[in-house]
Amino acid sequence: MKRDEIPPGTLYLLILKALSLHGPLHGYEMANFIQRTSDNVLQVEEGSLYPALQRMLVKGWVTAEWGVTAGNRRARYYRLTPAGRKQLDAELSQFERVFGAIHRITQIA
Amino acid sequence: MFPSESLRRLRMLFRGSRFQEELNEEMRLHRELREQELLDLGQSPESARREANLRFGNVTSLGETSYQSWGWSWLESLFQDLRYGTRSMLRSPALTIVALLSLALGIGANTAIFSFIDTLMLRSLPVKDPSQLMFFGKEGEAGVTDRIGSTTLYSYPFFREMQKRNGVFSDVAAIFSELNTVHGTIQGQDSMQPMRVQLVSGSYFPTLGVQAVQGRVLSEADDTIEGAHPILVVSYAWWKRALASDPAALNRKITLGKTTFDIVGIAPPEFFGTSVGEAPDMWVPMSEMGFVPPAYDARKDNFWEGMHLIGRLKPGVSQEQATSNVNVLYQQIIRSFPDADLDARNAGYLNHAHVILTPMAKGLSSLRHRFSEPLKILMGITTLVLLIACANIANLLLARSTARARELAVRQALGAGRLRIVRQLLTESLVLALTGGLLGIGLSRIADRLLLRMISGGSDLVPLEVSINTNLLLFTFAVTVATAILFGIIPAFRSTRLELTDALKDGRGSSSKASSRSPLGKILIVSQIALSLVLMVGAILFIRSLVNLNNVDTGFNREGVLRLDIDSDVIGLKSEDPRMIAMFQEIEQRVSALPGVKAASFASFLFSQGSWNTGIRVVGQNLDDRVNIKHNVVGNEYFAAMQIPLLAGRTFGPQDTTTSHKVAVISERMAKDLFPSGVNPIGHHYYAGFDPKPDTEVEVIGIAKDVKFGDLQESPQYIDYIPNPQHPWGYGTLAVRYNGDFDATSRAVQQTIHSVNPRLPISHVGTLDEQVSSTLTNQRVVAQLSAFFGLLAVFLSCIGIYGLMSYTVGKRTNEIGIRIAIGASRASVRWLVLREIALLTAIGIAVGIPITIAGSRIVGTMLFGLRGADVVSLLTSVVALLAVALLAAYLPARRAASVDPVVALRYE
Repeated sequence: MKRDEIPPGTLYLLILKALSLHGPLHGYEMANFIQRTSDNVLQVEEGSLYPALQRMLVKGWVTAEWGVTAGNRRARYYRLTPAGRKQLDAELSQFERVFGAIHRITQIA
Repeated sequence: MFPSESLRRLRMLFRGSRFQEELNEEMRLHRELREQELLDLGQSPESARREANLRFGNVTSLGETSYQSWGWSWLESLFQDLRYGTRSMLRSPALTIVALLSLALGIGANTAIFSFIDTLMLRSLPVKDPSQLMFFGKEGEAGVTDRIGSTTLYSYPFFREMQKRNGVFSDVAAIFSELNTVHGTIQGQDSMQPMRVQLVSGSYFPTLGVQAVQGRVLSEADDTIEGAHPILVVSYAWWKRALASDPAALNRKITLGKTTFDIVGIAPPEFFGTSVGEAPDMWVPMSEMGFVPPAYDARKDNFWEGMHLIGRLKPGVSQEQATSNVNVLYQQIIRSFPDADLDARNAGYLNHAHVILTPMAKGLSSLRHRFSEPLKILMGITTLVLLIACANIANLLLARSTARARELAVRQALGAGRLRIVRQLLTESLVLALTGGLLGIGLSRIADRLLLRMISGGSDLVPLEVSINTNLLLFTFAVTVATAILFGIIPAFRSTRLELTDALKDGRGSSSKASSRSPLGKILIVSQIALSLVLMVGAILFIRSLVNLNNVDTGFNREGVLRLDIDSDVIGLKSEDPRMIAMFQEIEQRVSALPGVKAASFASFLFSQGSWNTGIRVVGQNLDDRVNIKHNVVGNEYFAAMQIPLLAGRTFGPQDTTTSHKVAVISERMAKDLFPSGVNPIGHHYYAGFDPKPDTEVEVIGIAKDVKFGDLQESPQYIDYIPNPQHPWGYGTLAVRYNGDFDATSRAVQQTIHSVNPRLPISHVGTLDEQVSSTLTNQRVVAQLSAFFGLLAVFLSCIGIYGLMSYTVGKRTNEIGIRIAIGASRASVRWLVLREIALLTAIGIAVGIPITIAGSRIVGTMLFGLRGADVVSLLTSVVALLAVALLAAYLPARRAASVDPVVALRYE
């Protein structure tokens, strides 16, 4: 099965979207969400979620809290903040602008 | 960066190690969950684990990147370097102690001297916009004069006119040029105590823009009607000291003379008036001038000129504009005084008078005048000492970094960047320098107190606020960092520039490398020797200059004289009152009669206590108007008390009374220069003042040997001595020639004075010798400190030499072993080592001599009886330097000579 690297810079967007759809998630759940929802097309080097999450903590887009998984294990859950929600909107509109433009160009046959 | 973001970053910093633990935990969970999933899908445990790890990525580098997100990695590497630096400092304690000690002394000395420079020369007055303040005239003139054309001292009416008519100052204030010490009483206390009282115009505080911290300051309204405002403002320091910070100070009263003053305010703590080093205890409005002892009744006198004037420039007015306005007014005001005596001579003076405006942002200071040159020289000296210390440490670090060559090579081979290692080595130097700097600041606090005591000379400390402030800390910090860079950068770059293979092959460095390393070390040693020579010669010059000054013939006998001050103002009589004249005579007579006392006499001036001078007119002689005579009003036994030899005629006796013909004893130089040649001055007449008025006519009755009057360096002065009854003086100083015990005499004299008048306050009890040597304070400070720093420099250089030689001897053990093995004698091996240092010292001296000669020209004006570096000083220093240098090298040389060839050869 061929997997594609995610385009650079979109990892934040994916994480923000995942959190906005599902509420608090831990890292493993996010990785799975991204893979499954993209029908296994997008591949994240799973570990790279964590530096990105730290960056987002610094920015204040997410907050982290320790909780317990369904399997009764301790996990750190990330939750979207209002600032994160705003960021998601910003990233989404930027994404649409850029990809819309690329799409229009590639459609000229 | 948003504040909330900084807050989050900070909070993360305090989580410390928990941050890594939590991150590791969540990453571990992730991999385990993945592994479990893969297991559930039917993979083998081994491949499940492998794939889980593979998909996750490099845990260590992910952890690092996560950490870096928070932006603290620079801090961490700094801490790492600091830890490493501290550890490596502790690993070689001897080196560290020597380095820290020399740094602490170097930095401490620099900081201490700088703190004085800062206080005296750099700091601005703690008042509003000090740069707008202008002083009328030139600094340094104080007292009272009636001269027409005085451009520094002014009368009170002049001040009022100037204040009213000028268009360039927002306000003008008058300050009495002398800070009187008055013995006053705090209400509710019995004893009188000395208080430094400053008379100021009502505009003083408003002009300076100073507010009270409690109560109010003086205002223009307090300076209107004479005697109507017995109030004063006290200084913060005095309030703390004399009133024990009484919160109800504004209810307290102080009696000065016969008048009781209300305290209306307390000045702010940082305010010390306008003169650095002269902090008054209290400020009294000029309207009370006639009521504060010595109670000058001079507020309305147009030519009683004793005020200093200051003005605050209006915004936008330049110094030039102000000067021209002031000078136009100056001429108008003086000429408008109806009592201005504008004869031809005075009109000439007035026409030539020009008022200079001196910016006084930094305040006025006689201390600054006296000490700025010594301080600059001391600053130079301490800078040289610090340079020597730096050279020393650079040398030590160089030696150590060579020893660490292998460690550094390994690190570079493992991929450490050169800059990273240089940064780390510099951090180490910085740790060393900052530790040294901290110690130095501590040391400078002690040095400051010591220096203040040295500068003060006597028992009373000069009221100077020499304390730690931002300026000072910035200075020390700058010095410290500069030091670190100076002694760290060369070793750091040198030790990272190496051929890795060589260094790795040979931990101790091959013997061929030893020579490639030493040139730098040698250059450092040579410059240390050169600088040490400069400092040593300097010290010798200053000490010899001090000795010369101390050996100056004063003309009187310094030894065996007790001196003390009384405050006769408290009696409240005019000095011409017969009761006052009689009281002084009675004290003189009774003290003289004490056992062990040979003579006692009051004098208006003993030595270096100011002067009272006028011109004179000698009958039959045409003298220049500029010839000035210093007058000294004395008691009958003055010449006996001071042991000033009488060369001709007689001294004063009971026959010289208020009503008898006026007489004077004149100084040898005055007799020689000012009297017609070939005529015996004895019996000759002259007039004090320019005009031959009958009441100023005096007859010469004696000629006394020349004495030093103002300072030890002056040339012989024109002095005349006048008996007190004929020109009564409100004496302060009594000189007593005695035999035997000082303390017993002092007690007996004080008791006798109090038996004549129990109210007379007595102060400054000491010896004449002390009074004379206190005028040498700045020479003594410079001599002692330069001697100390000279020795320190030589000592530091010795350590440097010792370090370098120990190092080279260690390096050459192998070679020396071979030399001994093939028959070199121990003595020749010793000489081999000593020869090198002798050569270096000789080069250092050769370099140092021209620098020394050039440097001694700079200090030439501060020397007495010397013309800069001479053969004796140079030769002494050269011999001494050679001797200690060889001594320092001798120990390593002996060690070299005692090398056992077998051990040495097996060594490598």
